[in-house]
Amino acid sequence: MISQNSLLKRTLPIVLQSAGAHRKPRWLPVAKSKIYRIPKRPEIIDEERLELLRINNNYHTQMRAIRRFYHEEMIKEKSTLESASSEMSIRVEADEWERCIKVNEEWNAKVAAEREERRKVELAAREEHILGRMQVKDQKLAERIEKAAEEIRNQKELSTTFITPETLEEAIDRALANPKDYNYAIDLQGNQIAGRETPIPVKEKAASTA
Amino acid sequence: MPLPPASGTGRYFAKAAKSIRLVRHGCTNRPFFHISVTHRKRTTTQPVIEQLGSFDPMPNAFNEKLVALNLERLKYWLGKGAHVTPPVGELLGLSGFFPIHPRSYMTAWRNRQAEELAQQKEAEKASATAS
Repeated sequence: MISQNSLLKRTLPIVLQSAGAHRKPRWLPVAKSKIYRIPKRPEIIDEERLELLRINNNYHTQMRAIRRFYHEEMIKEKSTLESASSEMSIRVEADEWERCIKVNEEWNAKVAAEREERRKVELAAREEHILGRMQVKDQKLAERIEKAAEEIRNQKELSTTFITPETLEEAIDRALANPKDYNYAIDLQGNQIAGRETPIPVKEKAASTA
Repeated sequence: MPLPPASGTGRYFAKAAKSIRLVRHGCTNRPFFHISVTHRKRTTTQPVIEQLGSFDPMPNAFNEKLVALNLERLKYWLGKGAHVTPPVGELLGLSGFFPIHPRSYMTAWRNRQAEELAQQKEAEKASATAS
């Protein structure tokens, strides 16, 4: 059931749906259309009525006996429970308790052995898994180191051609001695003509057009 | 409003009359009943004192209507003087815990009569078409 307080403190409207009999309330009058309607009584044959009376009587008698039987049994059980606090019953209960503890310990030992075995297997599997992962990691690291070493070697080889302060003058002289022109022109056919001063090969062009 | 829980949350008054009855727990077009102990004056939507079994009135794939009963607790509550409603009495009668309920006998003979009547009519029809 929803408490009254939670209903009052609600923030959103609630649609309550109750499962139950959907009837006209008892205090409403008879509908006008039904005011002179007399429901038809079921017709029960005399023979059937007598038979029903007989089996109902039998049933109720038997049920009374059954009910009384269970009631008396309950009373008996209650009285035996009350009288069960004697010394004898206490000893029996203690013995039963001892037996239960013994059985429980046996079970515990069995389960503990099983658990130990299972844990050993699990531990071995885990160790293997971790070792595998470590190996993979080591391999990856070695690969990276090798790659870096290769890069360093390449750079060292290249470093012989670097321009240093000592070789700077020489490099400048060489650059001045060998000027390079990066300009170029493109004609309509897409041919590159390098340099600014290169003459256009008119003859070739005329030959190609002719 | 959700339906009350299956068992054990209803308030218990020792001296109030108890009733062992069917409580509908299915949904639309799918009836399913719990056999529960409640106070006689409570509605079927209120929490019950204890659930004693279940009853599925729709036949399953093997054409069986399944009933589950906790007979030990049923005996306990009968010893306490709980009343049994007719539908539950019928179920218990068919299960052999109680004598057969008179209503079971009545439905049986009425069904038999209806069947006989239908057979007679069919025979008459057959004879009429033959002649």
